[in-house]
Amino acid sequence: MYGRAFGAAVVGVRGFLVTVEAHIGRGLPALSITGLPGAPVQDARDRLRPAVEAAGLGWPLRRIVVNLAPGNLRKEGPGLDLPIAVGVLAASGQVPAGRLGRLAFAGELALDGSLLPTPGVLSVALAASAAGLEGVVVPHANGREAALVEGLRVVAAPSLRHVADHLRDRWDPGPPPRPRTDARPPAARVDLAEVRGQERARRALEVAAAGGHNLLLIGSPGAGKTMLARRLATILPPLSGEERLEVTQLHSVAGLLTGTGEGLVVERPFRSPHHSVSLAGLLGGGSGVLRPGEASLAHHGVLFLDELTEFRRDAIEGLRQPLEDGRVVVTRVSGSVEFPASFTLVAATNPCPCGFNGDPGRACECRSDRLQAHRDKLSGPLLDRVDLRLHVPRLTKQELLGAGEGEPSAPVRARVEEARSRQRVRYAGLGISSNAQLPGPVARRMARATPGAEALLGRAVETLGLTGRGFDRALKVGRTIADLEGAERVEERHVAEALSYRAEVRAPELVHAG
Amino acid sequence: MRAEQGWPTGYTASPEDRRAILVLASLRSLTPRKLLEMAGRRDSASACLAAIRSGREGTAGDRALARERDPAVLEGAVRRCGARLVAAGDPEYPASLLDLADPPAALFVRGGRLGDLAPRVAVVGARSCTALGAEISSAIGSALAAVGVCTVSGAARGIDAAAHEGSLRGGGPTLAVLGCGIDEPLPATARRLLARIRRSGAVVSEYAPGVAPEPRRFPARNRVIAALSEALVVVEGGDRSGSMITTEHALDIGRRVFAVPGALNNPKAHAPLTLLREGATPIRGPEDLLADLGYAAPQDAAADGPPASAEAPPGLSGEERLVWERIGAARLAEAVAAETGLPLDRAVAALMGLEVRGLVRSVGGRYERRFVGISPPDETARRRARPEGSAETPVRPTPTA
Repeated sequence: MYGRAFGAAVVGVRGFLVTVEAHIGRGLPALSITGLPGAPVQDARDRLRPAVEAAGLGWPLRRIVVNLAPGNLRKEGPGLDLPIAVGVLAASGQVPAGRLGRLAFAGELALDGSLLPTPGVLSVALAASAAGLEGVVVPHANGREAALVEGLRVVAAPSLRHVADHLRDRWDPGPPPRPRTDARPPAARVDLAEVRGQERARRALEVAAAGGHNLLLIGSPGAGKTMLARRLATILPPLSGEERLEVTQLHSVAGLLTGTGEGLVVERPFRSPHHSVSLAGLLGGGSGVLRPGEASLAHHGVLFLDELTEFRRDAIEGLRQPLEDGRVVVTRVSGSVEFPASFTLVAATNPCPCGFNGDPGRACECRSDRLQAHRDKLSGPLLDRVDLRLHVPRLTKQELLGAGEGEPSAPVRARVEEARSRQRVRYAGLGISSNAQLPGPVARRMARATPGAEALLGRAVETLGLTGRGFDRALKVGRTIADLEGAERVEERHVAEALSYRAEVRAPELVHAG
Repeated sequence: MRAEQGWPTGYTASPEDRRAILVLASLRSLTPRKLLEMAGRRDSASACLAAIRSGREGTAGDRALARERDPAVLEGAVRRCGARLVAAGDPEYPASLLDLADPPAALFVRGGRLGDLAPRVAVVGARSCTALGAEISSAIGSALAAVGVCTVSGAARGIDAAAHEGSLRGGGPTLAVLGCGIDEPLPATARRLLARIRRSGAVVSEYAPGVAPEPRRFPARNRVIAALSEALVVVEGGDRSGSMITTEHALDIGRRVFAVPGALNNPKAHAPLTLLREGATPIRGPEDLLADLGYAAPQDAAADGPPASAEAPPGLSGEERLVWERIGAARLAEAVAAETGLPLDRAVAALMGLEVRGLVRSVGGRYERRFVGISPPDETARRRARPEGSAETPVRPTPTA
């Protein structure tokens, strides 16, 4: 007695169609699963019998062999519970085999036979669609998520019993779930208008958003760094349809969608991992099931690293790859897995260990070696990728009182979108879409700086000790500022403002700072 | 206010006495005052050492240390680091030290002859200072160098290092007084600065090679700084700072004390402001100091006058001039924009134009006028010489003594 059903394994964020074969033969009652099942799939063995019996169906008391093909692919995730159960039901003749060749199944079973929300359903649906299947059968909670895939019939079933009844034409799932199609994200929970004062920081956020630049905020605790970083996501252009799908897929695989019922991520993600985060937690991986890390969960959004100097050095170094390539590659013995991770980095740090360096009202009491150690942690390859560096001073009472209500996010976002579209047109043939992605030499050619702007940069090299990289950064940021203004060429004042975003943690020597 | 009793004549006369000094200069608890009293009873350095070794004088720890230390080894160490011993009574021994109630029995010297490094003015202040304080300190060092005055300081980071650096940039000479052994048991950055100071002037210490830098010795070091100099300038210093101790010493022996006033909200202005209230002479910049001391400022230095009264430098754009006129103490770019009526981005651009010209500096997100207008040319050259991709700010030696 033989049955067959399609399921899917998820590797990284990609779904791969898996053929589940079930054979019921002579022997003592047992269930064995072959074909490189991961630990969570092995776990299914004990779950299946109670779930099937709870659904009012019979569990064959014979020797059952389930094979997952292709055999060279490690199968991860609990989504294979349902296809295995269906395969067994088909092998025992409890459901007709007729339509099983046109459907893929995904879902985790509870002991009472109900289908639980399952991570990675979107990836399964995409794999099914790519394989030319007609439809997918998924847990009810994942229906709207699976429905994002166009042209695929989605059956969202509350339990195994409903699945079996559907295959036996005894249950009509009704109209298929409808995907979320809101053109714009709902009113964001936070808004730029809530930031009091800090006009320079608000402006820096706008520039960062407009050019896709990464941002470093240097300031004492309580200066408002976290508040600012959180609002960057609200002035980025809305996610495109394709971007939404990518983000949703990542969040689905990570299990972040389960329980929300939303089925689609429409807002730019904002991720703010604690500095104790592990390497795998930040970049992806982990033992057993490979999970996307915070860098990937921030894909198309904002990754905020508060207290940058407190993060593990290897984690910081590991961020180089996503900052350069927009993806993370996790290498395993069984092969490497790729997660998309293209985000805007906002890093924040204290000006010094005690936090008072540069504060006009309080003296910094840090020892020079501690100050130097703090500074050393901030140098290096990660910071080379950060175009905007800004001091966020703690405001005095007078400065706070003088500060009015800020501009809300919406008009800022409109300016950002305009600046971005100018960049897309300019870089159409180059395979990049923003000023931040410009390689240095190309930036010098493409920025179209006026002679006055170039002269200013030259003076900055002489009197401010601007390095070659600093020169390129100022040019790129200047280009973004010009784009925000709609200016054809990068003028002196654009470069001047760009040069003001080169704050740094002060050296302990304190001799001739500046 | 010469000490009633100086070092007895012949205290360090014989080679044996000079070797004894080496041991006496490495003891932990023996202060110069105690040694001076002992010298009054026992006449020569070797007799003092013998008394300590035999247990008739000194603390238990010093007795053990004195027996342990081998003068020959110390002599070798002094020779190896290129130092020489200048004892009280030697022709090179600066007479001004004898103004102290407890003058050093001897100084170890590395560098030029002390007699050639005169006149001398001390510039002291806090280790952790503001950028403005460092700049003023450096400007004073340069101005002193320009009129041939030797800048004396303690080679600590902050104000001290800036004073030395300023003097070096002005062509020196400068003199550093250490609070540790003459062999400079200090971090590499501090030693690099000291090497440059030695080439320009000299590095001196009361302590034999191997004596570790310990804060408890810094007050004693400060009295040497005060006594070697004809005047003392306090640039920045906090409450209960070393600068106040140096000032006490200077006043005890009748040196003139100058103080650079700072803003009332600047915690590092506490020491100079206290001194001003107690009667120290305020200076608005190096010119005031030179004038008060009777050294004429060279003509071209007059252009670097105190910025509060300075005309706007030529070559500024209209907006830059507007911002320049309104800016003084550190303030936010937002505040500058509000006061000038410029939009924020224009105000920031103008501030940047001024920063590039070396007229304004950013400190922790606020902007302030710089004390000295334009970067000196050699600094520009040094910065340009840095390889690309190295640390983003020039790395300076960090003396920590």
